[in-house]
Amino acid sequence: MAILTSFEGACLATILGCILGVPIAYLLSRYEFIGKRLLESIVNLPIAIPHVAVGIALLSFLNERTVLGNLFLKFHITFVDTIYGVVIAMAFVSISYVITSALIGFNATPRELEMVSRSLGASAPYTFFHIVLPLSMPAIIRGAILAFARSVSEIGALLILSYYPKTAPIIMYERFEQYGLEAARPVTALVVFLSLLIFFLLLFLSQKRWASARG
Amino acid sequence: MLEVRLTKRYFPFKLDISFSINKETYNLILGPSGSGKSLTLRLIAGFERPDNGYIKLNGRDITGFPPEKRNIVYLPQNLGLFPHLSVYENIIYTFKAKREKVNKGYVNTIIEKFRIADLLKRRPTSLSGGEAQRVALARALVAKPKILLLDEPLSYLDFHIKFQLMAFLQLLKNEFSPTVIHVTHDPIEAFKLADYLFILEDGRLCFEGDKYDLFNNPPLGFGEKIVKGLKIIESLRG
Repeated sequence: MAILTSFEGACLATILGCILGVPIAYLLSRYEFIGKRLLESIVNLPIAIPHVAVGIALLSFLNERTVLGNLFLKFHITFVDTIYGVVIAMAFVSISYVITSALIGFNATPRELEMVSRSLGASAPYTFFHIVLPLSMPAIIRGAILAFARSVSEIGALLILSYYPKTAPIIMYERFEQYGLEAARPVTALVVFLSLLIFFLLLFLSQKRWASARG
Repeated sequence: MLEVRLTKRYFPFKLDISFSINKETYNLILGPSGSGKSLTLRLIAGFERPDNGYIKLNGRDITGFPPEKRNIVYLPQNLGLFPHLSVYENIIYTFKAKREKVNKGYVNTIIEKFRIADLLKRRPTSLSGGEAQRVALARALVAKPKILLLDEPLSYLDFHIKFQLMAFLQLLKNEFSPTVIHVTHDPIEAFKLADYLFILEDGRLCFEGDKYDLFNNPPLGFGEKIVKGLKIIESLRG
């Protein structure tokens, strides 16, 4: 059950990370605006700060007594000890991977291609979805796979924000704390095996699917 | 047909140009690197906004129009062929983008004229420089642009391929009569192709006229240098 929670949370966190991270990466890649350098620094912040601190920060901003927490409560969403908390914590610690990879993909796609597409009669959204996104997709997928892997392994922020429902790393931690090394080994081996299996499967599928994307 | 009167501050110079071009003419903007040639094309295509002034196409002010609403096709130096699409998909891209039915008769005529029928299933990355140029020109013509903008399209090609492609550009000019603005720093291209020439230096037009005007009354600076160079080539030919 904990393994399922881990993978469910990681999938949803990766999707959320892509929905938020890909537009941010495009913005950073294509536009000059005030505060761009600050935004670039902020997107790398989750990698730089300890994840327990991430958990404390998220708990401070999203608990039900805060404005933000109250806003989500109106939609029956709470973050403390719920799957939403698991997803938001995982998304927060992994979104940098999506943004950084997508940024590399967008920067590697020449702007001239967008210019040609527009001049041939394509709107900006059509150009984005038919030219820029397909060409940047291998990089975005690489980022998503890394984000997924990072999410599955997250524990620090979850210990603070959302201990329940328990994820696999929390179970491992509990077993180790309560019963020692021997008791923690089976679940650890299973999680490592499944994580690597999924990681390599996704990597293989993405390489096969997008191998010819850049011609 | 096309009237351009605009200024644009662009480090390290200020582009300040005013010119008009006639329908179905092949116009060449000649100038040294960094003179504002490509910027002029990007302004006409709608990828840059002028600080002041206007661009009028057939009397209509299109200055604020987005690129896709101008019917002006831009061909950059690197050709901008979409690497994830086949040659055929590249050629019919304009119909898909505008959600129009593919005009197969016209597409086939262009394919035949540009001798690219055997390339249609290939990816652009597998094409030679000359083949890629022909495909890019064919794709541009399929869109039936009111104006075709060519940004140094021959600059990275070997000498013999360059001359083959000049022949294709001649064919384009003679058989399809598009209105073309072609920018280059190569006077040989200019003298071979242009109906009308403009010389741009430091963001200002310092000459406009046909090639005979340029030979007879070269302006000082870049214009004078290229006429001198061409006269040397003429004398070597004996």
